[in-house]
Amino acid sequence: MAKWGMVIDLEKCTGCQACSTACAMENNRLPGESWQDVLFYHEGKYPNVKMSWLPRPCMHCENPSCVTVCPTKATYKTADGVVLVDWNKCIGCKYCMIACPYGVRFYSDDKAIIEPDLRKVFAGDGKRSWNPPYRMADASEDATRGIGIQPRGVVSKCTFCYHKISKAPKGVADLDEDNPQTKEHTPSCVRVCAPKARYFGDLDNPDSRVNQLIADKGGVRLKEETGNKPQVYYLSGGGSPVVPGARSSGKA
Amino acid sequence: MTTSSMSIARPNTVLVIAAIGLVVTLGMAGMNLMAQGHAAFNTNSVGISWGLPIVTYDYFLLTSTGLTLVASLPLVFELKSFQPVAKRCVWLAIAGLVGGVSSLALELGSPIKAISIIWTFQTGSPLFWKVLFVLAHFVLLVVLFARMRGGGPVRGIAAAQFVAALGIALIAGAVYGMMAMRPFWFGGDVPVAFLIESFLGGLAFIIFFSYLAHGFNAQAMPADLRGLFGGALGATFAVVIALHAAFVGARVVTGLWSNAEGLEVWGYISSRPLFHVEIWLGIALPLVLMGSRGTRQNPTMQIAAAVLVMISLLISRYDFIIGGQMVPLFKGSWAPSLLAYVPSTTEWLVFLAAIFLANVVNAYGEWKFDLDGR
Repeated sequence: MAKWGMVIDLEKCTGCQACSTACAMENNRLPGESWQDVLFYHEGKYPNVKMSWLPRPCMHCENPSCVTVCPTKATYKTADGVVLVDWNKCIGCKYCMIACPYGVRFYSDDKAIIEPDLRKVFAGDGKRSWNPPYRMADASEDATRGIGIQPRGVVSKCTFCYHKISKAPKGVADLDEDNPQTKEHTPSCVRVCAPKARYFGDLDNPDSRVNQLIADKGGVRLKEETGNKPQVYYLSGGGSPVVPGARSSGKA
Repeated sequence: MTTSSMSIARPNTVLVIAAIGLVVTLGMAGMNLMAQGHAAFNTNSVGISWGLPIVTYDYFLLTSTGLTLVASLPLVFELKSFQPVAKRCVWLAIAGLVGGVSSLALELGSPIKAISIIWTFQTGSPLFWKVLFVLAHFVLLVVLFARMRGGGPVRGIAAAQFVAALGIALIAGAVYGMMAMRPFWFGGDVPVAFLIESFLGGLAFIIFFSYLAHGFNAQAMPADLRGLFGGALGATFAVVIALHAAFVGARVVTGLWSNAEGLEVWGYISSRPLFHVEIWLGIALPLVLMGSRGTRQNPTMQIAAAVLVMISLLISRYDFIIGGQMVPLFKGSWAPSLLAYVPSTTEWLVFLAAIFLANVVNAYGEWKFDLDGR
């Protein structure tokens, strides 16, 4: 069984947000509810300003605090290493949102982050909290895995496009958009990345590209001190990915 | 006027006012929630996920456990001088619990499905244990009160009740204290602080509601109850305020001193007037009032100290729960350094509905059951 993970090369990422857009289209996200986002950070003041960006999907941690705190086991980790939410079990207590160190979860009933509220424009039918004209095929939706448009009162998050990767050929080391065999099984954010800053593969397979990159380029994970052990690694030219805190950047 | 006529007349007034308030606030909150869902709340997925309804829930829950702890003094530890407040403590604990849980029910995405927490047996989650203990707490409170009314043996059930209350207060603290990713909350001292705050709330509430039941007329109260407030309970109140002050002081000083990311919230909180109301009016002044023998025995000062502590604990609970979520996690430069949150009208209505519901239940008990009885 594979243990899926992602590598994001920050030296290649241009902050174009193609990944965020592809994710929103693939997974029918409301504007602002970006399961996959590219965060921008700046430090200093003009004319000495440093700008950096950080693509931030769910980290699908090895030791996910969101899974531990979920009182109904609605959030769970699959055998192939992906953290999912069973919307049939989620009670909307939002403890997972509190416990996630990476802020990657969204509650479906909150105020719209970006107006107009498309949930009102495309009203839901009970099963779905909203009903956009563009959406994934009904057959692809799976409430037990948090795939598709969520009902009201539950929490949603990035699934690593589980509806695609779970159907990948067995035993492949990497899911690469350049490989015709795995193209359709590659997560959308990886598939559309123009500068090819994203890689997706089996972290348990020593021959996978993701493992080679982590080893060769010194892949690092965010917030190691929490012990969550993300399965998303960042390549930043040898140093840690730059995520300035409010205090260290003089913002606080 | 006799004691019994006073204790019947006042709760009837409270009952009517609380019932009207409950219908109005719950009706308005219900309509808003049905029309808008939880978009009627000012919580959001940017960072402030738990708002005023959770503050209300924890505030009432900890008050309920605190009242149980106070009741356990005579019922479990045989401090007979506390016997005059035992029955009212138990009933008031039920009332507080009902009020708090009602707020939680309006906050959850699917409150009906939440019952599944019991059989999913997710032992790693503090919320599993919290729900389990709260259920036990409620059942034990009802059984204990029935036994107290019926005159049956209560020590065993009261001991179990004590364990449940102790567990809830500690677990409620652990829900926050275990969150290593939120430095403002993280720490093993948090469950202990919650336990002390719970006990303090129990003492403040029993003083206030005992006086309320007697029309704020000390002369209408039984002599042993009067003596208890001016004596052992008042002194205990002072000691627990001092312990609470020590915990609050330690956390504030540590938080303000530290340069750690996430603890900058303390700078913001301590700059707000409400923080100073909490510290100086809600902790320091009651400590002076209850620490001094002269004022401790003055009913007006007892009531004032109780009210100030009740308000102070609410501010403290609010600042703690909201403060822990104010530092945005991985939101980029577009997010402010500290997230803003102001409760919506619907959230305030839920808060008021919880208060009114708790008062309806309590006033009904004052009316129907002799809570001064032994």
